Amino acid sequence: MGHHHPGSVSPLRTLTAAVRHHRDRNVGPVKTVKLPRRKLDFFASVLQRFGELHAPVARNGHFVFQRVRRWSEARLEYTRTELPPKKYFLPPRETLFRFTPGKGYVPESEDLDRRIVLLGVHACDIYSLNILDLVFNGKYPDPYYQTRRRNIALIGVDCIPDQRCFCRSMRADTVEQGFDLFFYDIGDYYLTLVGTALGDDMVLAAGELFESVTPDDVAEYKRRSQERHQRFQLDVEIRDLPEIFEMEYGSEIWEELGAKCLSCGSCSMVCPTCYCYDVADETQLGSTAGRRVRTWDSCLFATHAAVAGGENFRHSRASRVKFRFYHKQRGFVAEYGRPSCVGCGRCSAVCPVGIDIIEVINRLRGVEYAETEHAATR
Amino acid sequence: MQATKPTVGIFGLTGCAGDQLVILNCEDELLSLVDVVDIRDFLMAASGGDEFSTLDIAFVEGAVMTRRDEEKLQRIRRRAKALVAIGTCALQGGVPAMADGLDWPSAVRDVYGPEGDGFDALPARALHECVEVDFSLPGCPIEKHEFLGAVADLLNGNPPQLPTYAVCTECKMRECDCLLVDQGRFCHGPLTRAGCRARCPSYAVPCVGCRGPVPDPNLGSAMDVYTSKGWSPEEVVQRLRTFGPLPTPVPAGEAA
Repeated sequence: MGHHHPGSVSPLRTLTAAVRHHRDRNVGPVKTVKLPRRKLDFFASVLQRFGELHAPVARNGHFVFQRVRRWSEARLEYTRTELPPKKYFLPPRETLFRFTPGKGYVPESEDLDRRIVLLGVHACDIYSLNILDLVFNGKYPDPYYQTRRRNIALIGVDCIPDQRCFCRSMRADTVEQGFDLFFYDIGDYYLTLVGTALGDDMVLAAGELFESVTPDDVAEYKRRSQERHQRFQLDVEIRDLPEIFEMEYGSEIWEELGAKCLSCGSCSMVCPTCYCYDVADETQLGSTAGRRVRTWDSCLFATHAAVAGGENFRHSRASRVKFRFYHKQRGFVAEYGRPSCVGCGRCSAVCPVGIDIIEVINRLRGVEYAETEHAATR
Repeated sequence: MQATKPTVGIFGLTGCAGDQLVILNCEDELLSLVDVVDIRDFLMAASGGDEFSTLDIAFVEGAVMTRRDEEKLQRIRRRAKALVAIGTCALQGGVPAMADGLDWPSAVRDVYGPEGDGFDALPARALHECVEVDFSLPGCPIEKHEFLGAVADLLNGNPPQLPTYAVCTECKMRECDCLLVDQGRFCHGPLTRAGCRARCPSYAVPCVGCRGPVPDPNLGSAMDVYTSKGWSPEEVVQRLRTFGPLPTPVPAGEAA
């Protein structure tokens, strides 16, 4: 089995040096402007100067982030993409470096240099990247992740929650940082928060496109913000959840979920904050030279906690399902001060057996699964 | 001059020869392949192979369905240091093993009439049911990249690295539409071993399970999923047996 911890990548000096000059993304909004909605396509063409433009597009009734060559393909009113923007920063499969015994290794860096502008990212997905930053920019910095984070600009867009969204409960329905620009729909305009110096450059590059914000615009923003807040159909209480998880370690629910789970890995793949990966060396035919490849992994796989000697720390399916919930809702809180779940709803949407995180949390809390109740009582 | 190269044999028992074809279709890599191994016996590529030399690696496709297959396999086993089963027939019987559980003589007679009685035809068996198998490459047919990777690994003294997770994982990585959850089609993805990079679902064709089951399929829960979508338990079992025998699934509640 390969490594599962981001710290296990060999240090790549050249990349790490580049990352030291990493621009501080964590400056708060410095100004607010507005963009006429009908000029968005024009702004999109301005953005091409800052990198390849990627945005959500429709594919067979679903949405995916991909490169847009014509702005008309973009769908900013989308619900959620199949994969979160995680795929840009931690690709499903990537070559880390090529090695030749006796000669050393050469980092794979070609793809890292791609400058991309990701337009149309929802608050929960930006929040999830801020969470991944805690892991990949923390104690064990990951130069691949960091370099991509530096080269990929993020432009957020607000959204209307659907029947699967519970980001409000997970305190990820708004973000204060982690974006270069953030668009709020206020009718004929997008109220635009400028989050970084790069974002400011984009606004400046657009010349006369952006306009000053009026008190009426602010009033309209507030009205829509309040309306959005009330449109959430799902609610779950996360206060003292780690403690409840601790007390319910022996709950029968874990065996029940273990009996249902197919270990198909879908939930982990689509999760914006699942960051486990496996690392393996692939050699060339007839040679000991080759490349080191990292691939997404999942704690639901039987191999995830398998170790040398044939032992397995989480042999039963129930223990693996439990582990996933505990890492998100309890372990991550202990380590970083908040759950790693952002409430995007993707895991519940893709699970073939209908395992629903809200249902699990509510059952552990001993409360009824009360869809829309919260919104209805307002 | 070639004495130091590892020797290799590639063989077929009862099957469609599709796995051997995949090897021959490695057109860009064939020269590199023969550069590093000495292919002694590969009837599909050339007649006049050396039938007696010892082999460092023997790749065998197909199911054991005749006495002749069985004897051939035993001869290969005696010659080979490492025996690699290639393709779903070799791993688990494949499509011919669909007949598992039927009364064999009457099945043969139903298909061939009285002449069937004279046929040397046995119920399909996987290679490991007859001889010791060292490594396996699943697929119907096998994947080119997995075969070449396996050769590279074996030449370096390592077991081939193959995914053991489900097709769903690779399907999600490619952002294909979920044919099971969203379209309610019978997709074997959650139960089937990945490695194909979800080729069929990427073309909106449901997975039929050709690579065989993951090592620990949750058949009880899968049965609940399929029946809740309208398939009868009998039909589910039939579909899951397309590429070989599976333990009869039971609803999760009744699982031991």
